[in-house]
Amino acid sequence: MNTRYLVLAGLLVTLLMGCRKDYEAPVPYTFSNMTGSGKFPTAIRQAINGVYTVTDGSDKFGAQVVLRWTYTHNGADTSHHLSVFTSNVGYFDMEPQPQTGGLAVGGYWRRLQDTEIGLVQLTVNVRRSGVVSPFTGRLATGDTLVVSGVYGDGDVTPTKRLTMTYARPLNPRPFSILAHRSGGRTSDLLPASENSVEIIKMASRLGATGIEIDVRYTKDGVPILYHDNTLNLRLIQKNGLAGPIEAYTYQQLNTLVRLVNGERIPTLEEALQTVVDETDLSFVWLDTKYIGSMQKVQTIQQTYLQRAKAAGRSLQIVIGLPSDDAVSLYRALPEKANTPVLCELDTSITRSINANIWAPRWTLGDQRAEVNAMKAEGRTVFVWTLDEPQFIREFIDQTRFDGILSNYACVVAYYHYSQQ
Amino acid sequence: MSHSLKFMAGVLIAVGLTLPARAQNRSVADTTRKRGPYAVVLSVGSGLSYYSTHLGVPAALSNEQVNRFGVPFTIRALWVPDHRLRIGLETGWTTMYSYRGQVDNTNSHVYVSAVPALVVFSMPLAWLSGDERSIARRLSLTGGSGAYIIHSRLDFDGTVQTNTLSLGWMAAASYTQPLGPRFRLSGELKWYDAVASENAAFAAQLQLNYRLVRW
Repeated sequence: MNTRYLVLAGLLVTLLMGCRKDYEAPVPYTFSNMTGSGKFPTAIRQAINGVYTVTDGSDKFGAQVVLRWTYTHNGADTSHHLSVFTSNVGYFDMEPQPQTGGLAVGGYWRRLQDTEIGLVQLTVNVRRSGVVSPFTGRLATGDTLVVSGVYGDGDVTPTKRLTMTYARPLNPRPFSILAHRSGGRTSDLLPASENSVEIIKMASRLGATGIEIDVRYTKDGVPILYHDNTLNLRLIQKNGLAGPIEAYTYQQLNTLVRLVNGERIPTLEEALQTVVDETDLSFVWLDTKYIGSMQKVQTIQQTYLQRAKAAGRSLQIVIGLPSDDAVSLYRALPEKANTPVLCELDTSITRSINANIWAPRWTLGDQRAEVNAMKAEGRTVFVWTLDEPQFIREFIDQTRFDGILSNYACVVAYYHYSQQ
Repeated sequence: MSHSLKFMAGVLIAVGLTLPARAQNRSVADTTRKRGPYAVVLSVGSGLSYYSTHLGVPAALSNEQVNRFGVPFTIRALWVPDHRLRIGLETGWTTMYSYRGQVDNTNSHVYVSAVPALVVFSMPLAWLSGDERSIARRLSLTGGSGAYIIHSRLDFDGTVQTNTLSLGWMAAASYTQPLGPRFRLSGELKWYDAVASENAAFAAQLQLNYRLVRW
């Protein structure tokens, strides 16, 4: 009898406790948002960009990593960040630390396929004739940069050694590294929510040179950024609201709905304003997730292309056509001049609408003949949405695509920049 | 959850799944016994519910007022065979929660309710005591799984009403008091859990059970 009660109690405990687990990866570092590059002027930043071999810390970050500086604009000021991209779906986000002696950076590291995260503190040194000393900005023949320091797990003070030694410069071949959903997926526990202004500002630190954003209309016709067709807890904080996002007005969404990390759902205009004014991104792919006229999106596209041009920015903004319905919306536009589009359908449709860019899904394979034909016609060819590191490497090494759309821009960045 | 705990939970579940079969166990099989009687019992009930998990109220609201209480309504049809495990369908309606507040002196109100559509299994606890005439026979455990239709209504800058489906489950414990040959009265404590939408409510209900047919 007692055994039965125990079994019953065990079942109840199992039911109530469940096996659900909340996964979190809180960033353990608070950025100062310092403007300027501190002790890292352009020449030093350029000298640091490169492919490095890892000695201490290779068990955690792999035998080779890529270091690359990026920046965001903040009004008239610029903030610089040093990123590290690893082969095991990881990245570092670090800022200059002027209060520390020498050339120092600090920030955090993260692996995107789990919740691993931690603090990192590094200094830039130079090895000359076997002797390591602080880097002062001048490299003589035979000198080698050594970026070293400590890293840790979680928010504990870092103590594990990390040593990265400069091996070669970054691969200079032009290649578009396009980040899905404005930078990455919310489900990968990034510091900012997908399709938010905050993740757009982060995109280049995650390795991206361009972004894909998902455009939908609100009930009152405002183009906004949102991926799914419903309000749901995968993307927004719990508030009782659910159902099709098109059922809500912009005011309702702007007032009552917050994305998972607390951000507002941005309008398309806010997103493009951020890209033009605050980032160094060179490409924006406006994925058509709406049903209705494309004219409003076209007008916004042209407005921000002009603003980018006026600001001296080399920025492409293209409307993505993922379906026959989207192609029909494009064909229905009364004026198609100055409206760059990207077609995800087959080559014949791409040619029929004279799309500048063809973007097939990656599962169709390398499509060597079609890719060569489209490139010979002067079109750019991207592939989407490729997240598997092994295939990312193969597509970069063995195909002629001009860019890859991925949820893991850091992996694409690693394999592209380290390609020899 | 550690691997050992997961293993223990797995063993418990596996053993638990055998309990309904063991409840039917007889030392000697009587193949001459006539089966039955069978019945279909219809239950209707109502009571009080309390929203028992976290809820989010937008930070933009001022003077917010949250209401976690509701009046649930349940309809259940249960096939009562000559063995202890019963199976049936349950639906109804329950308020999950509501909140109201103001945004720049404009009133805002959100109301969330759920309609369960569940397959339920129920079993009296006589197997615990082994005595069919004990009070345990009047106690029963009920569990079910299925879907919840989550209804959401927003009143702010117009009205938006939406319905979404959420997978979920329900667990309940009840005591049933006979009132007559066809009527019984039950007191039931139950837990509604719409897992996908993260809505859960605890309810206490009085249910009137009516034996609809018997054969």
